[in-house]
Amino acid sequence: MDSMLVASVWLIPVLPLLSALWIGIGYITGENRGESGEFQTTWVSLGAALMSMAILLAVDAHALLNGLPGQIIVAPWLSSEPYRLYFSFTLDTLSLLVGTTVAVTAVLTLRFSANYLHREAGFQRFFLIFNVFIAAMLLIVLAGNAVMMFVGWELAGVSSYLLIAYAFDRPTATENATRAFVTNRVGDGGFILGIFFSLLWLTSVEWPDILHGSSQLTSLQTAILAGGFFLAAFAKSAMVPFSSWLARALEGPTPSSAVFYGSLMVHGGVFLLLRLSPVIEQVVALQAVLITIGLLTAAYGFLGGLVQSDVKTALIFSTTGQIGLMTIEIGFGWSELAAWHLTAHAVWRAYQLFSAPAFMHSVVRPARPVPQWLSQQRWLYTACLQRFWLDNLSNGLFVRPTINLAREVEIFDEQVVNRMVGLPSHVGAAASIADWEERKHGYVKTPEGIVTKAQGVLGALLEWLASLLHWFEEQLVLKGSGEGLLRTLQLIGRYLLIIERLLSQPRYLWLMVLITFVVII
Amino acid sequence: MEPKEQTMAEPTENKPMDMRTMLQEAVAHIGHVLPAQAPIKDFVHHNTLHAYQHLPFPDAIKTAHQTTGNNSYLPLEQFREFYRNGRIHDSDLLAVMKDDEHLAAEETIASFEERSLQQLDVYKATKLYAFKPITNTQLNWQIQERQCLRCFQEDVSRESRRRLLAAAHTTKEAVAVNELWTACLQALGLQHYILHPEDLLDLGQEDAQRIFRELAASSGEEAVEQPMVHRLVRKESERTAQILLERLGTDLTLSGLLKKLTDVDLLDDIRPVLIRHVNAFLDHGIAAWRNPDSGEGFYAAWRCSAGLDLAWSINNIDGAEQTLHALPEDPLEVVISELQQLGLPRNRWAHYLQRLALEIPGWAGMLFWHHQHPGYHDSAPHPVNMMDFLAVFLVCERLYAQRLCHEQWRIEPRLDALQGYFRRHRSEFIVRYLLFNSRLPEYIIHLAQRLVGRTAMYKSRYAEWISLADLIWTWRHSPAADRPVGYSVYRSAWRLFRLAQHLGLSGEQISRLDKAQIDRIFSCLDKLDEDRLGYLWLQAYERNYREQLLNAIANNQDSTPRQTPAKPPLAQVVFCMDDREEGIRRHLEETDSVIQTLGAAGFFGVAINWRALDDTRVTPLCPIVVTPAHEVREQPQPAQESRKAQHDSRRGKRLWLRNYLTQELRRDFLKAWLLYTALAPLALLVLLGKVLAPRFTGLWSQRWRQHFNVSISTEAAITAQEPAPPATAENPRLGFTDSEQAEKVETFLRTIGLTSAFGPLVVMMGHGSSSQNNPHLAAYDCGACSGRHGGPNARVFAAMANRPVVRERLRERGIAIPENTWFLGAEHNTCDECITWFDHDALPQALQADFARLRKTLHQAAQKSAHERCRRLASAPKTPSLHRALRHMSDRSYDFSQVRPELGHATNAAAFIGRRSMSQGLFLDRRVFLISYDATQDPEGKILEAILLAAGPVGAGINLEYYFSTVNNERYGCGSKVTHNIAGLFGVMDGATSDLRTGLPKQMIEIHEAMRLQIVVESTTDILTKVYERQPPLQELIGNAWVHLIAKDPYSNVMHVFKPTVGFVPWQGEISRLPKVSQSVNWYSGHSGPLGFALSGGAFGDG
Repeated sequence: MDSMLVASVWLIPVLPLLSALWIGIGYITGENRGESGEFQTTWVSLGAALMSMAILLAVDAHALLNGLPGQIIVAPWLSSEPYRLYFSFTLDTLSLLVGTTVAVTAVLTLRFSANYLHREAGFQRFFLIFNVFIAAMLLIVLAGNAVMMFVGWELAGVSSYLLIAYAFDRPTATENATRAFVTNRVGDGGFILGIFFSLLWLTSVEWPDILHGSSQLTSLQTAILAGGFFLAAFAKSAMVPFSSWLARALEGPTPSSAVFYGSLMVHGGVFLLLRLSPVIEQVVALQAVLITIGLLTAAYGFLGGLVQSDVKTALIFSTTGQIGLMTIEIGFGWSELAAWHLTAHAVWRAYQLFSAPAFMHSVVRPARPVPQWLSQQRWLYTACLQRFWLDNLSNGLFVRPTINLAREVEIFDEQVVNRMVGLPSHVGAAASIADWEERKHGYVKTPEGIVTKAQGVLGALLEWLASLLHWFEEQLVLKGSGEGLLRTLQLIGRYLLIIERLLSQPRYLWLMVLITFVVII
Repeated sequence: MEPKEQTMAEPTENKPMDMRTMLQEAVAHIGHVLPAQAPIKDFVHHNTLHAYQHLPFPDAIKTAHQTTGNNSYLPLEQFREFYRNGRIHDSDLLAVMKDDEHLAAEETIASFEERSLQQLDVYKATKLYAFKPITNTQLNWQIQERQCLRCFQEDVSRESRRRLLAAAHTTKEAVAVNELWTACLQALGLQHYILHPEDLLDLGQEDAQRIFRELAASSGEEAVEQPMVHRLVRKESERTAQILLERLGTDLTLSGLLKKLTDVDLLDDIRPVLIRHVNAFLDHGIAAWRNPDSGEGFYAAWRCSAGLDLAWSINNIDGAEQTLHALPEDPLEVVISELQQLGLPRNRWAHYLQRLALEIPGWAGMLFWHHQHPGYHDSAPHPVNMMDFLAVFLVCERLYAQRLCHEQWRIEPRLDALQGYFRRHRSEFIVRYLLFNSRLPEYIIHLAQRLVGRTAMYKSRYAEWISLADLIWTWRHSPAADRPVGYSVYRSAWRLFRLAQHLGLSGEQISRLDKAQIDRIFSCLDKLDEDRLGYLWLQAYERNYREQLLNAIANNQDSTPRQTPAKPPLAQVVFCMDDREEGIRRHLEETDSVIQTLGAAGFFGVAINWRALDDTRVTPLCPIVVTPAHEVREQPQPAQESRKAQHDSRRGKRLWLRNYLTQELRRDFLKAWLLYTALAPLALLVLLGKVLAPRFTGLWSQRWRQHFNVSISTEAAITAQEPAPPATAENPRLGFTDSEQAEKVETFLRTIGLTSAFGPLVVMMGHGSSSQNNPHLAAYDCGACSGRHGGPNARVFAAMANRPVVRERLRERGIAIPENTWFLGAEHNTCDECITWFDHDALPQALQADFARLRKTLHQAAQKSAHERCRRLASAPKTPSLHRALRHMSDRSYDFSQVRPELGHATNAAAFIGRRSMSQGLFLDRRVFLISYDATQDPEGKILEAILLAAGPVGAGINLEYYFSTVNNERYGCGSKVTHNIAGLFGVMDGATSDLRTGLPKQMIEIHEAMRLQIVVESTTDILTKVYERQPPLQELIGNAWVHLIAKDPYSNVMHVFKPTVGFVPWQGEISRLPKVSQSVNWYSGHSGPLGFALSGGAFGDG
C-alpha cells in the first residue's frame, strides 16, 4: 500500500498535464468552446488538481507516520554510461511542504478563476495554460533531479509568457510578456550550465548526488556549479539585477498575476536555492553572494514599493522585498526558516492579490508616510520611481543594440551576401513608368562608373573588373590625376569614420566581448 | 541648439497678455473632450458625452467621432443580427428612412417597365448588406475560388435572385450574373481583367504604354527636361506633405505626425513614465512616499525629479539635462515656449493642447477632475493644475521627438524644419507616407521598410528613394491597384455589382441607366456613411421597442381597469424609481394584492448630508446636481450612550487591524515578515473559507464583526435645535425645522400622488447594493443618492412623517394622515435581495401583526425577484426553487471571485411617469424606471415639471452611460474586469501601465440593449408642451433627442410621440393583443434572452 502510494507520485504533476491535454483537444475539436464548455473545463481542471492534491496529502500523511520517503526513482529515462538519467522524485520536508502549498493554492485559484473568468473569450485558453503551469510548478518542486526540474522550469516560463500576453490585442501586454520571457532565458542559460557541470564533474544530476557529491569538488568547482543555478534562480525570482521584468508582468487576469508573480512561480528561484542549500553552506563565497543579492533585492523591493501608486505593482514590489529576505535567510544558512517563510508568504500573497480589486474599499487611511529624512531624498525618490533604471539599462545595453545589430546584419545581407549569391535585388529590377519613360525619351543616364549590370559572384567579378578598368581610365586618362586621387582618399576616410563610429557603439563592444569569450572558451 | 536659446528667451520679453489668457481658456475648456468621471468610489452615472449635450444626438456623436475618433453606434453587423433575429422589422426600417427628410427616400431613381427603383431601395439594401470596396487580390480570390462571376453572392435573398433572373429572362444563374458584371463595368466605363499574381510585381510593356498614354493625355504636358512621372510624384508629394503638416495641431500631435512618417510611436516611451509621475502625484494613499516637491504642483515636482533622472542619458536623449535646467518655472511659460519652438501657428495652439490631452484621455481627465475639484476629501493636499500636466507632456514630447528627428533626418522637431526637409526630399516623404498610411503590396513594403530602416548614418544614396517613389507611383496607377480618382473596378464596379444583385436588377437593366442615374445610385450609397447608417439603425431598433411598449400600455388600459379599492391597502411601499425595482414591485403586488407600490427618485425628496454613527465626515445623499443644505447625523439612542465608547474603541481596533493588514503588510517588510511567518495558517484558513464557502464565511464574519463591535441602537437626529440658523448649501445646518419637515413631507407625498387613502403602513424603501472585490461598487448603488445607499433618506423621511407636529401641519395643508398610519424606512439590497428595516422597534403595538404580514410578503417577493433575476445570469441555476434562487443571489454578493454580483441597470430602456395603473399588471422585464405621478392632482403641471427636472437627468444619465459603454466598450467603457488594477485608489487601469479606464466594465453591459430612454408621461400634450417651453434643460435633453418623450393622455388611451423638429405627433401604431398569464413567472420561466411584454396578474387565466 505504502509503496503503491509512493510509486504513484509521478501522477501528481502528470494529472494537471493530462487535464491540459484534455482541454486542448476539446478546444481543437470544438467540444468545450464557448460558455457551455466552461463547466467541463472547470471541472476537469479542478478534478485533476484535486487528485494531485489528494495524493500529495496522502504522501504527507504517510511521511508523518512512517518518515520521509526520500529519493524515489520511478523509471529510468536515459542511460549512456557513465551517465544515467531517471524519472525520480525527491520527497523531503522541503518538497512536501512547498508541494502541498502549490497544490492547495492551485485548487483555490482554479475555483476562483471559474467565476472570475466566466464568459471571457479566453476562458479555455486560461485554464489550459494554467494547468500546464500547475504541472510545471509541481515538477519543479518534486523533481528528483535537475533535468526534471528544468523541464518544469521551462514549462512555467512558457505558461507565464502566454498568460502575461492573455490580452494579446494589447501591444503593452505582448511586449511585456516577451520581456519577461527573454529575461528568463538568461536564467535558463545558467540552469543548463549547472546541469552541464553536474554531469561533467559528478556524472549525475540527481539531487542527492549533487548535494552530497559536491563535497569532493574543489570550492571553485562548487562555486561554478552553483553559480549557474544561481543565475537561474535570480532570474526566475526577479532578484537584482533581473527585477524589472516582474513589475511588467502584471498584464494578465488577476488570478494569474496572483499565482505567478505573487504566490508561486516567483518563488521558484528561492526554492532552487533551498534545494541547493547543502551545497551553498559549503562555500562561504556563495553565501556572501546570496546575502549581497538578497540585501540588494530586499532594498529594491522595499524602497521601490514605497513609491508605487497602483495596487498590483505595490504588492509585487513587496513580494520582491520578501524574496530578498528569503535569500538572505538562505545565505545565512537558515533554510528551514526560509522554507517556512516561502510557504507563508505564498499563501498571504495569493490572498492579497485575489482581493486586490477590493483594496480601495478595505483601506481606512492612506499609507503611513515615510520619515522626514527619507522623504526629502530627491535623487533616491527618482531612482525608486524609475525602478533604479533597471529597465532602461537593459534596454540600452541589450535590447537596442540587438535590434540595431539585426538591422545591420540585414543590410549586410542585402548588400553583400545577396549580391554575392546572386539573389535578385529588387531595386532597379521592377520596372516603373519612370524607367519606361526614361528609356523611351532617352533620358538614360547610366550612373557614373557603372558599366554593366550582372548577377552572381562570377558576374560581379567581371562587373567589378570592368568597372575598375573604367574607373582607371576615367581617373587617369579623362580627369586630372590629383583631383581623382583626392576624392578617393576622401571616400576612404568617410568609410573609416563610419567604422570607427560603429565600433564606439555598445552593441559592437558587446559583440567584441562575446567574440573574445567564444574564442577563449 | 542655438536657435532654441533664442526662441526661449524671446517670449519672456514681449509676450502679449492675450496669449496667456487664450491658453488658460483653452485649458479650462479641455474637459469637454475628456472623460469627466470622478474618483471611482464616487462613481455617478452620467451622460458620457455630456459636453456635447447642447447638440442634437446624431451631430454630437459625429462631432465626438471627429474630435476623439471614438465610434458611438453599435457595429452595423450587430444591427443586422438584430434584424435577422426579428428585433428590428422591415416596417421599422422603412419608417425611420421615410422620416429622415435628408434622405428623400421616396424619390425615384429610374423606372423600368416592370418596376421602379427608388432611393429607398438603395438605402435599404445598404443598411442590410455591407457594400465594401475590395482589393485586387480579394477580387481575384472571389472570382477564382468563390465563383462570384458565376454565382449569386451568398447573402442575396431568394426573392432578389428570382427577380434578377426574371429580369434577365434566363434561368441560368451563371449567365445572368456574368452579364450583370459586364454591364456594371460598362456602365462605369471600366475594364477589368484578371491579373496573374506576377503581373502584380512587374509592369508589362503594354500596360506601361497604356498608362503613359493616358497620363500624357490627361495632363496635357509634353515631356521636358525631366521625366513627367518625376514631376507628378514631386507634385503629389508636396501636396500631401502640406496637407499632413497642416493637420499638426488640428487632429495630430507631434508624436502622431512622426508616427505617420516613421512608424515610431514616441508615446510608447513617454506614456509609461508620464503615467507613473501622474499616478504618484494624484495618488490618494497607496504610496507611502510622495515626490518631495509635490506641494509646488505637478510641473515643479516633475521638473525636479526629471532633472535627477538618469533615464535621459541611458536612453540617449542628448541635451536633456541642459533643456530641463533651462526650463522656466511657470508652466504656462513652458507651454508657450514649447509651442513656439514647435513652430505651430498660434491659432492651432488650443487645439494642439486638446489633442495632446487626448493621447491619454483617462489620466488627463482624472487630473482635470482634480483640477476642478480642489479640496476633494480623499485627494492629496497639493494643488492640481492642468497646465502643469500639459507643460510636462510638451517637454517630454519634444525631448523624445528631438532624438527621433535627429536620428532620422538630423533636424530639429519643428514644423518649419520638417517642412523644409520634406520640400527637399519629396520622394522620401511620399514613400514614407504611403508606406505607413496606405496599403502597398508586399514587395514594395519590403523595399520601403529597408530604406526607412537605414538610419541617417548610412543614408548616402538618395537615388534609391527616388526610384522607389517612382515604383510606388507606377504601382498605384497600374491595373493592380485601385485608381485613386473617379469610378474604379474595385471601389465602384464591385459595389454596384453587389447592390444590383440585392436589388434584383439584371445586367440589361443596369445598362439602360444613364450616367446621371448611376451617379445618383452612388450618391445614395455614399450618403449613408457609418455614422448615418448607425443612427438609422439605432432609430429603427428603438422604434421597434417603442411600438411594443406603447402597444403594451394600450393593452393594459383596455384590460379591466383596476378600480381604486374602496378600502385602503394594507401598506403602501414607495420604492426607488430604479428599473431594478420593477421586478420586486410586480411580484409584491402579485403576491398580495392589498399592497400598493409607488416609485420616486430614491432620495425621497430629502437632500441631506448624512453622517452615520461611525463616519468621520458627511456624505451627500441626493442627486449629483443638488447640494444639500441640511446635515443629519445618526446618533445612539439615549439609553445606549454609555455603550458608544466601547463601540468606538472596539471598532477602532478592528479597523486598525484591517488597515494594518492591507497597508502595512505591504509597506513595511520587516513587520510583514514577522506576521507572515506567524499568521500564515490563519491566512490559509480565511482564503479557504472565502474561496470554497463564500456565503458561510461572509455571514459568519459579518456576525462576528457585529458582535465584536458592540451594536448600538441608533436614531437619526432629524430635528434642528431652535432657534435655527438659515440652512444654505454653503453652511449646511444640523437637522430640519418643523416647518421644513412638513414641507418636505408634503412636497414628496404630492409628487407621488399619495395624498389620501393611506394604509396602516407606509414604507419608504431605499436601495443599495453589496458585493465583494468590486471597484465599481458605487455604480450599482442608488443613482438618485449620488451612487450611495438610499436607506438613510428613507429612514429620515419616515422619522419626519411620523412626528405628530408634522402630521398636524400636513393636516392644515390638506393631507390628512390617519392616526394609526405609521411610516417605516427600509433599504432593499438589489444584489442579495435582503431588506433592512430602520427604527421598527418604535412601531406601535397595534400594527405589529400588519408589519409581520408585510415582511412575510416582502420576503416572498424578494425570493421571486431573485428567481426572475436568475434567468438573465448565465451561471445561475436554470430552474431554481425560490429558496435556492435567493441563496444564489446571496452567494453572489459574498463571493469575492464574482465579477457579476448583479447586472445593475443593464437593459434599461424606458421610464414611466404616471400612476401605477398605467403599468400595473404589465411584465416590463426590469427595463423601466417607474415614477409615480398623478396628473389628476396637478392641473398646472408644476409637479410634473419638478419630476422631469429631477428624474429626467438621472434616468438619462444612467441610460446614456450604459449606452456609450455598450456601443464602444473599448473607448467609453473600461473593458474586462479581469485585468483591472486599481490605480491611486481613484480608478482602474488594465495591467500595470495603461490609460486610466473610465465608464462601465464589460461585465456590466454584456446584456444591455443600447437604446435611448423612452420617457412615457401620463399627461396632456398641452401641459407637457408648456413645461418643455419653460425649461431649457428639458429642451436640451428632449429637443436634442438624448431621450424620447411620449405623452399618454391621463383620461384616454391616446398617445403622442414627440419629434424634436415637429412636436407631438399622434401615435398610430397597430394595437395587437398581448399574451396574458396569471403570474409573471409563467411568462419568463425557460427564457434567458430578451422577452416581450405580457399582462400578468390574478385577474387573468394563463394564456
